[in-house]
Parts: sequence; C-alpha cells; structure tokens
Amino acid sequence: MVICAGVEAHWRASGYRPNILDSRQLWAQQRERVDRGPGTALALLGASRTEFGIDPQRLRERLPKYRPVMLAVDAHYPLATLRDLAADEDFRGVVLCDLDAVGYLRTFWDMQQPYVDYFHKQWTPSWNLHRHLLTDWQRIAVIANPAFGWKASLTHALDGGQPFHDYIRYYANRSGDIDYRQTDPESTKRHFAQTMEGSIAHLPPHDPQRWLVDLAPMHAWIAAIDARGGSVIFYSSPVDGLQREALQRVFPREQYWDRLVAAFPEAHFLDALDVPALSRFDLPDDSHMDYRDKPAYTDALAAMLLERGWLSR
Amino acid sequence: MQFDSFTFVVFFAAVLCVYNALRGWSARKWFLLIASWVFYAAWNPLFLPLLIGSATLDFWIARRIHASARPVARKRWIVATLLINLGVLGLFKYHAFLLDNFAALLALAGVHYVPAQFDIVLPIGISFYTFHSLSYCLDIYRGKFEPTRNWRDYALYVAFFPQLVAGPITRFTQMREQIETPRRTTRESLGLGCALLVLGLFEKCVLADTVFAPVADGFFNAVGSASAAAAWSGTLAFSGQIFCDFAGYSTCAIGAALALGFQLPINFRYPYAAAGFADFWRRWHISLSTWLRDYLYVSLGGNRRGAWRTYVNLMLTMLIGGLWHGAAWTFVIWGGLHGLYLAAERFARERLLPANWQAPAPLRFGYGLLTLLLVTLTWIWFRAPDAATAWQAFGRLLPAAGGSALDTTQMFAVVGFVLVAAVHWLMRERELMTWQRRLPAPVLGIVLGLMLALIVLSPGDNHAFIYFQF
Repeated sequence: MVICAGVEAHWRASGYRPNILDSRQLWAQQRERVDRGPGTALALLGASRTEFGIDPQRLRERLPKYRPVMLAVDAHYPLATLRDLAADEDFRGVVLCDLDAVGYLRTFWDMQQPYVDYFHKQWTPSWNLHRHLLTDWQRIAVIANPAFGWKASLTHALDGGQPFHDYIRYYANRSGDIDYRQTDPESTKRHFAQTMEGSIAHLPPHDPQRWLVDLAPMHAWIAAIDARGGSVIFYSSPVDGLQREALQRVFPREQYWDRLVAAFPEAHFLDALDVPALSRFDLPDDSHMDYRDKPAYTDALAAMLLERGWLSR
Repeated sequence: MQFDSFTFVVFFAAVLCVYNALRGWSARKWFLLIASWVFYAAWNPLFLPLLIGSATLDFWIARRIHASARPVARKRWIVATLLINLGVLGLFKYHAFLLDNFAALLALAGVHYVPAQFDIVLPIGISFYTFHSLSYCLDIYRGKFEPTRNWRDYALYVAFFPQLVAGPITRFTQMREQIETPRRTTRESLGLGCALLVLGLFEKCVLADTVFAPVADGFFNAVGSASAAAAWSGTLAFSGQIFCDFAGYSTCAIGAALALGFQLPINFRYPYAAAGFADFWRRWHISLSTWLRDYLYVSLGGNRRGAWRTYVNLMLTMLIGGLWHGAAWTFVIWGGLHGLYLAAERFARERLLPANWQAPAPLRFGYGLLTLLLVTLTWIWFRAPDAATAWQAFGRLLPAAGGSALDTTQMFAVVGFVLVAAVHWLMRERELMTWQRRLPAPVLGIVLGLMLALIVLSPGDNHAFIYFQF
C-alpha cells in the first residue's frame, strides 16, 4: 500500500485530481432511477451538450415535482434510449430529448443501444453495489483512473509524455462540468474548422423527405409514453459559430426541424435558438458551455419548460 | 459477482466471518450452500431455480441408478440424465447454432427456412455444473462409489461458489471426503488462500486485462487493416490473455476454497511449457481434459480398439471438446486441430519413433517451442468471431501484410507473453503451493505486496472472465 500511496501522492503533486469515470454501469445506475423514486421521472436524453450543459440537481430544485435522471451519453445520440423508455411499462415520466438534425438520422439510432443492452442483460444488484463502491474509490483516488495506472504511467514514461489534464469534472449523477479556463477552446474551434468538410462528407446520405419518413416509428414511441401519462419534449440545444453555420447549411431548419415539428404534433418541440434566454450563453467551443454558466442555463431551461406548460412546479 | 469486483470482496469477507463463527459443521455447510446460491443469483436470480432443480434431479436419479439391480434399468436412468442434462445445455447454449445450421442445410437443398429467433440468455456456469452433475451420475452408474444420502451435501458439491461458474470441474470423489469431514479456516489455509487470490487477481487484472486484452482486441477487432506486427503481437497477446484470464480465475477459485478449508484440484500446470500436445492437454484446463478423457474418450473405446479407432476417438473427443467451448464452427475447428495434433503425435510416437525413445533435452525444448507456436496460432480460431475473420487473421501474419514497428503497448504484450512462457518453463515440474511454502515469509510478503499494488494500479472496465461465456 506504500507503493499505491506513493503513486497517488506523485500524481496529486503533478496537479492531477480524482475524477469519476462514466461507464455503462454508471449509466445503468441512473437508468434504474427512471423507474423508481420520489416524484415524476424527467429523463434527460442527449449527448455531450446535455451532459455538460444541464445540472440535474439544479433542475430538481427548480422543478421539485420531478426527478431528473441524466441518461445523456457523450458522443452518442440518444434515440435508442428513447425507444427503450417507450417500451418500458414502468416508465411514466417525461422525456427531454436533446438532439440536432444529424442525431435523427437512422444510421445513428443505435449509438446508445450498448448501454441499453447492458442495463437489460447484465445489470444486477451485485454490479450496482460494485459500482457504488467503485464510485467512492474514484472520488478519493487519482489512481482509480486507468490513465494513471501502472501501464499508462510506464507508457508515458517511455514515450516521454504525461497523462492528459482533464478539464471535465464528472459526477456520480452523470453530469459533468467543463472548465474552459483549463483548456484552449479556440483549438477545438480550429480543429472543427479544419475537419468540417471531411466530417460533412462522411455523413450518411440524407434528404429531408427520407429523413422524416425514417422517423415514423417515433410516433409509436411517443404514443406509448403518452399513454402512460408521460410526455416527450424534443429539444435542440444551442450551438454557435461555424457549427451553427454547418448545421444550417447541411440540415436547413426549414427542411428538417420545422417539418419534424409539423409531423409530430403529439410531442413538444423547443429550439434554443428561438429563445434568447437560452441562446444568450457563451459557447467557448461553439457547442458546449462553461460550467459557470450551467446554473443560469438550467434555470432558464426550467423556466421555459414551465412557461410553455410542458412541466409544472 | 466476479472475483475482481468490490462486491466479491464484501461477500467473501462476510462469508469467511460467518462461516467460521458458526459452530456445527452442518450449520456451516448450510451456510456455504446458501452463500453459493446468493453468489450465483448475483448473476441472474432467474437461473437459480435451474441450478437447484438440476442438482436435485441428478441427486434423485443417481439414487435410482444405484438402487436399480437390473442393468437395463440402470442404463435407462443414465440415459435419462444424459438426455435431460445435455438437452438443457443444448437448449440454452446450442439452439441458435443448431437452428442456423439446419437452415443452411435446407438451403443447400433449395428449401428456404428462416428459424425463429429466441432471445434465450445463457445461464452462467451451465456448462460447468452440468459436467459436475454428469460425472457424479456416470461414476455411480459405473459403480465407483455409492451416492450420498444427503441432498445438501450433493447440492453443495454442485453449487460450491468458488468453482461454480468456471471450474475447476470437480469430481465428487475429490469433494466428498472434504464435504463430509468438518473443517474450518485455519491460519495456514487463510494465508495460502489469500495469497492465491492475490496471484489469481494479478493474472486476471494486471496481465490479462491490462497487458494482453487491449492488444488482442486491437488486432481481432480490426483484422482487415492490421500490419504483420499487429497480427503477431495480437495473436501472442490473446494467447497470454486466455491463459492469464482462465488460470487467474482457477487460481482465485482454488484460493477462495482453500481459505474456507477446501482443496480444489489444480487446473493448469504451466501449459506453455508443454513438450507436445498430449503434454499440453495434461497441463491446460486439466479438469476438462480429464473429464473428456474419462467420460467421452474412454466411453468411445479409448485406445482399446486399434490404432485407427484411437485416432478417430481422439478426434471426436477434441471436436466435442471444442464445441463445449462455444456454439460456433470456429470452436469446432479449434478442437479439431488439437485432435489432429494429438493424433499425428500419437502416430509419430507409435509408428515412426523407436519404442520407449526419450528425446534429448534440446530436442524436447525445440518440440516445446513448436508446440507453443502451434497452440498460439490455433488460438486464432478460438478468438476470431467467425471463420472468415480467422482466415484473414492468418493472412495478416505474413510479411506481405505490411509492416510497422510495434508500439509500446504491443511491445508490453509481446514481452509479457515471453515472460509468461519463461515462467512456465522454469516452473514446469514444480508445484506452486509447495514452492510458495518454501519461500521465506518476507520474500513472499514483498512479492504479494507488489502484486497487490499492481492490481490496485490496474483499474479499468471489469472484463468478464473469458470462460464465463462457456
């Protein structure tokens, strides 16, 4: 244990701090909360903008009737989870599903399916206990992170590098804080600018009509959730700069989002770009906000959902 | 729950405390049985009734076999238990494989048949506890011993948690006396048991999951674009991974049992130091290979019906042994190749070499290297998801696949594998526990301390033990 304590001390002296790591097990812990607990479940679906933009704890304080559950997964579009919640007879809550036009493409529907499958096929009380203890361990020890394990350390030593200084702080409720003071968001913007055309070229083929037709199964999902007393709110979180331009160029709002809204009257739709209170926030990398803006953004989102009558206090 | 989980640490600590606090041997056995059921239910509680039901049925059938005086009646009962046990195993494990191949056969005849898709989850450990039960019934059928009258003792033999989900496959003769004789944790058994747990977790967490798995996965998940360096390092890495993963589990199982006062049989005896394939199968997954030898190979006639029949029996045994590992042709091919190696080796020994010839040490060593090479290459069939990928993987081993130097993680894996093989050669005629007892306590303490530190410094996703899927 002297060795472990020594290694821990070394990494802390180098400026590294413990951090909780996301995993399918952590996701499964939250997924379980969707079906049980006080209040009405408010399932937060989406990807990184949701995970790092919305504060579930703050949301709970602003909407005490609801039990916010973070099911968004960084870099994974969420429609597989929406499909799963629709099929879950025990889910009677509200879904806030945040995704842009790209995320509705049929090709990306199954991105979160491995998380869903893990929850249904492998998640057990035994793993739940393990994950609770692991979360406690990750909270207090830098060496609980594989990036600081013996092999990674040896590899860095041989390659002459250092572990990455993470600027995202992660929590057990699966939300995260991005601290842009610890990184250079301009480099992210530059990287996006350089790779944008390539990324666009690699998108699956799409046309607005096909895009909408492929979404037909969503009617059944929304109906299933509605029938159990719940509802579905589709949300498009704010983006800025080149990301916004690219999205508008490749998926023009009038051909995609507006048609989606018209085709699904049974659901609610909210585009942050239509609401100054939501789109006023600075997005340092054009896509995500700094954690210092999270409380105000969460408050604004809660206020908007209340104002529109889709949630109640 | 897996041995490398926090849950198991909590579970095992609780079991040790309560087990040793209970007074009577009967009470301790009941407690172990219930703890074993809790251990199994932690995977999936829905399959606990299957485990209990299977054990109860075989307990009852074994008593019917023993009570039947007429050979015909005894045969009916043993056939019944074979059909039931293998039928259940077949249903859970092989239904999709059988249906898909049936559909393929019909397609050859021009009949289009789409089999129904059943979403049947494979109960963990079913291959292992089925073999436990079958060996008990078959031994009673052969008149080797009388069945136990105590249902709890038999249920404990089947469900004993250290070996329940991935072996070693124990015979009732190996466990009976231990179950019937009162025992508890002693200082020596606890010390040795914990040392083996540390060693097993070191093999699993440090070697299998951290050193070998990433390189093996990196190759087998992208075979088409792999360089020759990635192919060779990936293949060696998988050879290292499967040994360390499986032997690690067995070592943990033996350690956990020892801490409770029970001795499970050794399951691996430095197989990568085998000189020849018969030697390899006396060292690799010993409990399975002896089970196949005693209950399949011998039943087929063994070596008692002439040379060619012996080769056929070897092949059949190994083909079925391959199929036991998984419902896929790649496992059958893997088993078949080992059958071929065994048959060829036997042929050479009986027909080409002088009787009682002992190879000189350098030749034995060379043959050992050849054995290791062929065993390593044959693992490709075991790991590849399908035959096409396996062929592709072999193709990437050739220099024509193009080169790039090994990166740091690949180098770790190659060096790690060489070290594992070297340790096997050094230890090939030694018993680990005897050697461990002889080490001065401070030295043993330092070694185990280092291992424990590396285990703690090997965090990562909990990779399921490979043999859990069997």
